[in-house]
Amino acid sequence: MPGKPNDGYYEAYWPRGPRQQRTRALAPRLDTLSGKTVAQLWDQLFKGDVVFEILEESLKARFPAVRFVSWREFGSTHGGEEKEALAALPEKFKAMGVDAVISGMAC
Amino acid sequence: MLRASAVCEAAGYPTSSLTCEGFLRQAAATSVGLGMPNIPVALVPGHIGNKSPEQLQRDILEVTTQAVIDNLTIAPAAKGDSAEPGPRDIVVRGGFKEVNRYFYEHEYSDGLPIVPPTLDDIESFLRFVDRDPDEVLGVLLPDRRAATVWNVAVNGVMAGCRPEYMPVLVALAEAMCDPEYGVEHSGNTPGADTLIILNGAVIKALGFNYAQGALRDGFLPNTSVGRFWRLYLRNVAGFLPHKTDKATFGNTWRVVLAENEDLLASIGWEPNSVEMGFAAGDNTVTIARYTGGGSLSSVTGSTPEQMLPYVADSVLRFNNWQITFTTSHGDGALRPLVVLSPIIAETIAKCGWSKADVKRYLYRHVRMPAWEFERQLRDWNIRGVWDLKDDVTAGRIPKVFYESDDPNRLVPIVWEPEDYMIAVAGDPLRNNAYVFAHNGFLGYPVGKRIRLPKDWEQRLETRD
Repeated sequence: MPGKPNDGYYEAYWPRGPRQQRTRALAPRLDTLSGKTVAQLWDQLFKGDVVFEILEESLKARFPAVRFVSWREFGSTHGGEEKEALAALPEKFKAMGVDAVISGMAC
Repeated sequence: MLRASAVCEAAGYPTSSLTCEGFLRQAAATSVGLGMPNIPVALVPGHIGNKSPEQLQRDILEVTTQAVIDNLTIAPAAKGDSAEPGPRDIVVRGGFKEVNRYFYEHEYSDGLPIVPPTLDDIESFLRFVDRDPDEVLGVLLPDRRAATVWNVAVNGVMAGCRPEYMPVLVALAEAMCDPEYGVEHSGNTPGADTLIILNGAVIKALGFNYAQGALRDGFLPNTSVGRFWRLYLRNVAGFLPHKTDKATFGNTWRVVLAENEDLLASIGWEPNSVEMGFAAGDNTVTIARYTGGGSLSSVTGSTPEQMLPYVADSVLRFNNWQITFTTSHGDGALRPLVVLSPIIAETIAKCGWSKADVKRYLYRHVRMPAWEFERQLRDWNIRGVWDLKDDVTAGRIPKVFYESDDPNRLVPIVWEPEDYMIAVAGDPLRNNAYVFAHNGFLGYPVGKRIRLPKDWEQRLETRD
């Protein structure tokens, strides 16, 4: 079927590629933070050290039994060693008894 | 950051991702490619870099804290996969304007008219490679889509390339897929743009400009292949402005830089391809991302000692915050590129200097006081808990960065002389140079050999 005069007619193909990642389930959530151990992950940019201090105080005020594992234990999650740092996390979490994670900073 | 969270979620640990307001859309788009479109984020209002301590505390207490609690204790609503066309689906039929309107509205184009990718044109591209169209060249983040020979051809047609550029385009897609390059970082806020350096006989065979105006549009191969790169980043990797591409400013794509190999051969300097580990004469592409840089006008002198101080000074001036990649944050990934015009390279070479000599000169002379280095990153930029002494003491960077406590000691901006890259192109008879400020591991230099089909020359002779 022709288009408008001098505008030609084209059948144009999709320029993208098939996604290689299906949707995955998230981890189960916690019933409460009380008594749980929360790991801090930081890309060591954008004042995350300050933010984690404030968050620790405010969460402890609401859940006195919550425990934190500092970002210092895990190294930077963004940088030349990102892949290695992320691959090591599950084992570290297991050894440290981690229940949940706060990850920053997307800025 | 979301990549870290996705690893944790997949391992069974619930996460909360601290996200500044301007990154919510990026997080939403990126999470789809991670296979976790419902991964929860905790809002940090505004941008963290421009808050007073009091405001930051107030925002974290009043907004972010509750979001973190919710993220970790309330299951987010499930989201499924969204339906998309198949790789060989025709998505629009109609006239030139209608096709272009459709492609623009579906975010498939860069705003300029595209050449409609029809079967005839796609097949004409595929005839210039001996590859299966369905061959998967790699998987590209953030969308995590398959890069295939087929979709290379589709985007090559769209960019206005000629079919015979196809071997170059496939090599570029392979380079984009190389993990060392770090394509997943292509949407970072400094908005770096990739420079493609071309080497080998294909430069002349395909008519690339490598002389005057080497980085100017106006030459079909240089311009259209540069445009292909950006279209492929958009359509297959998935970098879209206002979503996954968070360039604060950004630029139009860069045209391809082809080296002047005749001049290099005449002065005995190896081409960039050899620096990248290939044999002299190989047809290659090299890619790296650069955040900026600029031109040096009139590099005057008849000896390296007269000319190179100006070049070294400019390398230092054009690489300011990029030194963050020199530290442990970037693992020494800073690779500044200096493009010399032929007459400069020739004048230096006449004095018996090799490329390696120039790199050693730059390593010794591109230096800054340690206090300035630390001020740039710790006081002005984004690294609040860091200094050179810590990095050296922990063995994370070379000792040359902390040889004494003297704050005025001079430190380099790269780890070793070989980190500098040098290319030769541009107006043969003008003594200008260009310095590119590199983006470290967020676009590390990667080279790929261009695989030509068996009867390449015959195919070139029969091209339309």
